Amino acid sequence: MTVDRLPRAGAGLKPEHQRHILEARPDVGWFEVHAENYMGAGGPPHHSLERIRALYPLSVHGVGLSIGSADGMAPGHLARLKTVVDRYQPFTVSEHLAWSTHDGIFLNDLLPLPYTEATLSLVARHVDEVQTTLGRRILIENPSTYLRFDGEEMPETDFLRALARRSGCGLLLDINNVVVSAANHGFDPRAYLASFPHEHVGEIHLAGHAVLEKDGETLLVDTHDRTISLEVWRLFREVIARHGRRPTLIEWDVEVPAWQDVEGEVRQAQSLLQSARGLDARAA
Amino acid sequence: MINRTTTAALAAAVAAAALMSSGANAQTANTDKEKCYGISMAGKNDCAATGNNSCAGQSKADYDAKAWKYVAKGSCATMEVTLKDGMKRKGTLMPM
Amino acid sequence: MPAQPEGTGLADLQRRFGLALLQGPLVIPHGIRRDTQPTRGRRFGVYRNNVKASLAAALAARFPVVARLVDEDFFTAMALVFIERHPPRSPVLAEYGAAFAEFLEGFEPAADLPYLPDIARLEWARHVAFHSADASPVDIGRLAALPPEGLGSVKLGLHPAMAIIASSWPIVSIWSTNTYDLTSQAPAADWTGETALVTRPHLEVLLHRLPPGTDRLVTALASGVALGQAAEAASRACQDFDLAIALSTLFAAGAVATLSEGSSR
Repeated sequence: MTVDRLPRAGAGLKPEHQRHILEARPDVGWFEVHAENYMGAGGPPHHSLERIRALYPLSVHGVGLSIGSADGMAPGHLARLKTVVDRYQPFTVSEHLAWSTHDGIFLNDLLPLPYTEATLSLVARHVDEVQTTLGRRILIENPSTYLRFDGEEMPETDFLRALARRSGCGLLLDINNVVVSAANHGFDPRAYLASFPHEHVGEIHLAGHAVLEKDGETLLVDTHDRTISLEVWRLFREVIARHGRRPTLIEWDVEVPAWQDVEGEVRQAQSLLQSARGLDARAA
Repeated sequence: MINRTTTAALAAAVAAAALMSSGANAQTANTDKEKCYGISMAGKNDCAATGNNSCAGQSKADYDAKAWKYVAKGSCATMEVTLKDGMKRKGTLMPM
Repeated sequence: MPAQPEGTGLADLQRRFGLALLQGPLVIPHGIRRDTQPTRGRRFGVYRNNVKASLAAALAARFPVVARLVDEDFFTAMALVFIERHPPRSPVLAEYGAAFAEFLEGFEPAADLPYLPDIARLEWARHVAFHSADASPVDIGRLAALPPEGLGSVKLGLHPAMAIIASSWPIVSIWSTNTYDLTSQAPAADWTGETALVTRPHLEVLLHRLPPGTDRLVTALASGVALGQAAEAASRACQDFDLAIALSTLFAAGAVATLSEGSSR
């Protein structure tokens, strides 16, 4: 049995902060990078990441594999992901329940999938291919969505549970995505979280979102460009209290602030993880 | 004699080049260092929506009227640019 | 929508969805649920905006001098046209924008800035150099230490990050002024072409103005011929070519990564 150590809070690694991090070596648990930003042959990105990897645990988060593409995952991309994973030996590898490539064109967004039995078999097959190629389990993240499709056959939580069972993958629970999708589709985020298969969760994401109001209609957009909302913090606290603590990431990708602001949110997440620790057995 | 690069000429050129390099470096256009490891050149695969309802997603037809005429107003030799010291000056193209 | 075999249904949906994301006027693809407010148009519009705005932002970061020369609004509008005509073919966004310079060649509204395509070429070369393979540059001392009679048959291997952009416009000067803005400059009076040398000997991308004929020397070296023959080719092509200045510039810039002595010495 492994010792149950306190899961740490980490931060998304942005180029703007790398120099400071290497110099100041802040006390954060780990960093996460987007795999696609490290698929070049060389140069400063790899130089910095090698040094950060020597100091911190790393998580690799893919944003371009297009696991939900009906005409197959982005050609050749899995091999490039494997190169990144082999080189940096991350403690976690994750991707999204989404698609982004069709007919060889990369649509740079995490696009929604209809939750049907057919989609489930397709995604499970792709996840299996990824896990076989990488030789490890991956985590699949619940998306933020802005629309739903005709003819869907199951809720997202059922889809993710079945995917985890069928492919053996773990899940990445993005609580901000839950809040964004809940508001956009008019469901209760607590009900969603109550039916979420938490036993498969290997990592939690927290981020900020934008509220767009127009003609009396509101849409929440998963922007990662501002502080985490109070509702997301509350749900995070409830989730770790009820379902156990997980490594937790602060994501900030647009309008990236000074490192201190990111570190402040990492500390907040860490202290919530800390205060929830009486709830699960912990060995020294 | 101009075209034929002899061994002696080659050797002289290499020796002169080595001498030049030991002194001031050859002319470079870089007058400043890239202080931040070239941040703007990083990969740009971000995990986020841009989230604004800005013009970015609109049809280009919205621009045809105003934006396309911008350049026609004048080349950048007479364009006003805001410099890093905050002063507005005419943009210029002369060697530094 | 009539029921379809599921696999086909998803491929079809994604094809329609993808087309509608990129094309100009907003068309909502079939298959999107209609029973909720806000409207489907607004919902689908979020994805359209995400795709286009993120790609336009990536291009603006990759071509900052082009963006500055035409102004932000113009650049965004121009980028949207480019995105529609040349959407990314790779999920690695660092690979997006190779076709931008060529696109600018034919982009009528920017025709008043004829140097724009070459500035884009220069910025793309800098971007490629940033991500290119690493290699240690060779010091010119190693060349100078070789026996003189062997110099003619020495082969110089170019650095993987190195690129040359020859232009009829003063592109190095335009790039520098619009990047650094250290001092106020006199208005452009004398427009002479410049040849840019982009290198990344270590971590930093460097930009140099190449002396006359040096690009010919580099072209010859890149084709695999030895130094003596390459120098002859450059002298023939350019009467102002000066081998000492050319070599000094190339080595100082870190443009040479390997040096191999020929067999005929």
